[in-house]
Amino acid sequence: MPADPAVSAPAPAGRSPSTVMARLTAKKAVRSGALWGCFFGICVASSALTYLSSYKTPAAREKLVASFGSNTALASLFGPAHQLQTVAGFTAYKVLGFLSIVGAVWGLLAGTRLLRGEEDAGRWELLLAGQTTRRRAAAQALAGLSAGVAALFAVTALVTVVTGRSSKVHFAVGEALFFALALVCSAAVFLAVGALASQLAATRRQAAAYAGYAFGACYALRMVADSGVGLDWLRWATPFGWVELLQPLTASDWLPLLPAAALVVALAGATVYLAGTRDLGASTFPDQSNAPLRPRLLNGALGLAARLMRPTVVAWGAALAATAFMFGFIAKPAGAALSGSNSINRVLSHLGAHGAGAKAYLGVAFLMMSIMLGFIGAGQVTATRAEEAEGRLDHLLVRPLSRRSWLGGRVLEATAVLVISGLGVGAFTWLGGASGHAGLPFSSVVEAGLNMVPPALFVLGVGALVIGVWPRATSIVIYGLIVWSILVTLVGGFSNNNHWLLDTSLFHQMAPAPASAPNWTAGGVMIAIGAAAAMVGGAAFRHRDLVGE
Amino acid sequence: MTDVVSAAERVKPQGGWTAIRTQGLSKRYGPVDALKNLDLEVSEGEVVGYLGPNGAGKTTTIRLLLGLARPTAGRAEIFGIDCQRQPVEAHRRVAYVPGEASLWPSLTGAETLHLLGRVHGRVDPVYRDELIERFDFDSSKKVRAYSKGNRQKLILIAGLMTRADLLLLDEPTVGLDPLMEQAFRHCIHEARERGQTVFLSSHILSEIEALCDRVGILREGALVEMGTMAELRHLSALTVEATFDGSVPDLTGVEGVSSIETVGRVVRCQVRGSVEPLLQALAVSGVHKLLSHEPSLEELFLAHYGQRAETEGATADAG
Repeated sequence: MPADPAVSAPAPAGRSPSTVMARLTAKKAVRSGALWGCFFGICVASSALTYLSSYKTPAAREKLVASFGSNTALASLFGPAHQLQTVAGFTAYKVLGFLSIVGAVWGLLAGTRLLRGEEDAGRWELLLAGQTTRRRAAAQALAGLSAGVAALFAVTALVTVVTGRSSKVHFAVGEALFFALALVCSAAVFLAVGALASQLAATRRQAAAYAGYAFGACYALRMVADSGVGLDWLRWATPFGWVELLQPLTASDWLPLLPAAALVVALAGATVYLAGTRDLGASTFPDQSNAPLRPRLLNGALGLAARLMRPTVVAWGAALAATAFMFGFIAKPAGAALSGSNSINRVLSHLGAHGAGAKAYLGVAFLMMSIMLGFIGAGQVTATRAEEAEGRLDHLLVRPLSRRSWLGGRVLEATAVLVISGLGVGAFTWLGGASGHAGLPFSSVVEAGLNMVPPALFVLGVGALVIGVWPRATSIVIYGLIVWSILVTLVGGFSNNNHWLLDTSLFHQMAPAPASAPNWTAGGVMIAIGAAAAMVGGAAFRHRDLVGE
Repeated sequence: MTDVVSAAERVKPQGGWTAIRTQGLSKRYGPVDALKNLDLEVSEGEVVGYLGPNGAGKTTTIRLLLGLARPTAGRAEIFGIDCQRQPVEAHRRVAYVPGEASLWPSLTGAETLHLLGRVHGRVDPVYRDELIERFDFDSSKKVRAYSKGNRQKLILIAGLMTRADLLLLDEPTVGLDPLMEQAFRHCIHEARERGQTVFLSSHILSEIEALCDRVGILREGALVEMGTMAELRHLSALTVEATFDGSVPDLTGVEGVSSIETVGRVVRCQVRGSVEPLLQALAVSGVHKLLSHEPSLEELFLAHYGQRAETEGATADAG
């Protein structure tokens, strides 16, 4: 006879309720970590294979060493080079610096999203009503995040070990595992930075900004340390320096793992401690919850968008300006270091730069900044989609505001941001060049800045299209497009790949100004395709339901 | 040829506008019919309640009226303006209050009201300030610092301050305390007196009963009942409660009588149609006390869903 449901005792639902937060966080972190692990693995494998195909003879490899081995200008961009005459040395040089940055950005965004973001969304409130405390919940979330790092490590390590089994590549298993560990080291550190920032800030955006400041400071320290001005010891003061000091695949020094591990433990401990000292939803730093009415810009949807994007745009603008100034400032010595090396010029020409001296150097530098500009465009797209996904757009569109005006306004506003950013990069590079006596013509550097804008506008246009036709896939499509383009450009920089493949990269389409004249035709085509995509997206947006997350 | 007409060309018909008109309005989400063939008319100045359990199609109806969702079939008009073809025109005359407020966390309450007022283009600032006072709302706080109830107050004020011709309210008092709910009812009475039309979707049956001229009941995406409270009561059963001095008679089989419950010497039952057969049956049994009352909205509502439950139960038994 079945039991009376009215009097039956509640049965345990699934696994232990005391670990539910760890499992929920781990589920999201592991998925993301595994995906990025695939990207890391592809970068490692492609770099190793590219080296084998591009530098087949000992003579070619010695030339590479002579050109890159002690080049401080390139070290400030890509990090120091060790044992470039080997596949291992080249692979470490090629991907370690770049993937450390990618991993750090992933870590700080994942840390703030899965801690402060979940709290902002109110989901922690439900979970904290269960069998846990604020401190235990924070500890569990950290455990979940560490599962994400483990997934990132596992996938990266798997691909690296498999790549290393090739007789031509030949990484020992231990070396491959240590390399994977070095690649995820900055991700682990900045995941913990993001977790701590989530305790200090009142919102996810604010937490990401705090973590971003820490990232910027650490990266700047690394650049100074690698600039060859006798401040090498500064590498010990930044996680990016620790990653370099590990020297995976070449010297494999375990010592720098100690400060990294100590910092992660300290940050995790501080996170758990602070979680118990504040109210749920509140911040450790005092939050200004009251404010006087500041109606400027709040006269319509466009003004609102401008106000909402202001902090992000200012932060990105400052980062771009500082980077542009720094590139301009070191353009003269860096250009001199590059001159006269055929192999370097060959590599740079694969990356898209032509000519020689400061302009060749800036050709590569502007390529890197155009990637940053692409990310700004992608950020604008995802912020636009977030207004709809999180239900705030409803409040505007139930008033006399057409969908066309709203989306069109957002796209035009983002266009203005990108164009101004491009001009700003040109102007600050020139300013830096003038300070460093590089003798850069103002018009050609500003033109080079504008030359970076079309790929970002293409991203914006495609973003509007995806918002119109497949809104829930906006982030993955847009960031996927940029990551793919970076990957193809990186691989293409060191090898003679199929031009059809290279043509799929946005950044390969732009001329390497100021190393050569901007290709306004190609830029115009990219803008025209972007505009057409935006128009199709706008039309689709007008004829579909508004949809949430 | 299009039948889109500008606002200036539209002439008010004799007897006033129809504030809301839908014809065969339907919405399908994948395999689910969220709304089925809805024909609805709400006259200018009416206060209409819209009832239904979760998932019945109330919010879908309102989102279709606002043009936030596209109908699978049918059309909807607000004051004669096509909601899909001319949403901006229609929205000039509408204020919408959802039951859940997702707002910009970095703006203060005052900034949010300023923004939404500017986007709407029509605000009565004196009334807005009165509403802020009436709802005891601190507009200097940032949205992220508000409780759920205060966020709800904020979007209520943002909707009401426009004095729009049509108020579309989707469970607007969720999260409000009883005092604030009273303040809300007061606002709706005022809106009625000013001639505004109100379309109120709610789960709070007493609220609907107190405020609305007509009530529509939705079930599984279909409008199953629409009428004034009097009309709905007329269609429904009368509740009778009789207390007997002696033995309780068996009322089974008495014409029009159903749902008989006996507790001691008290019998409660429902009567449809004439009460005369029941009175004749009771007259011979020594009735000590006899009470009767018309069904409340809650009873009407439960009766509709009770019928469904009974039908489903019968089907299950047969199965």
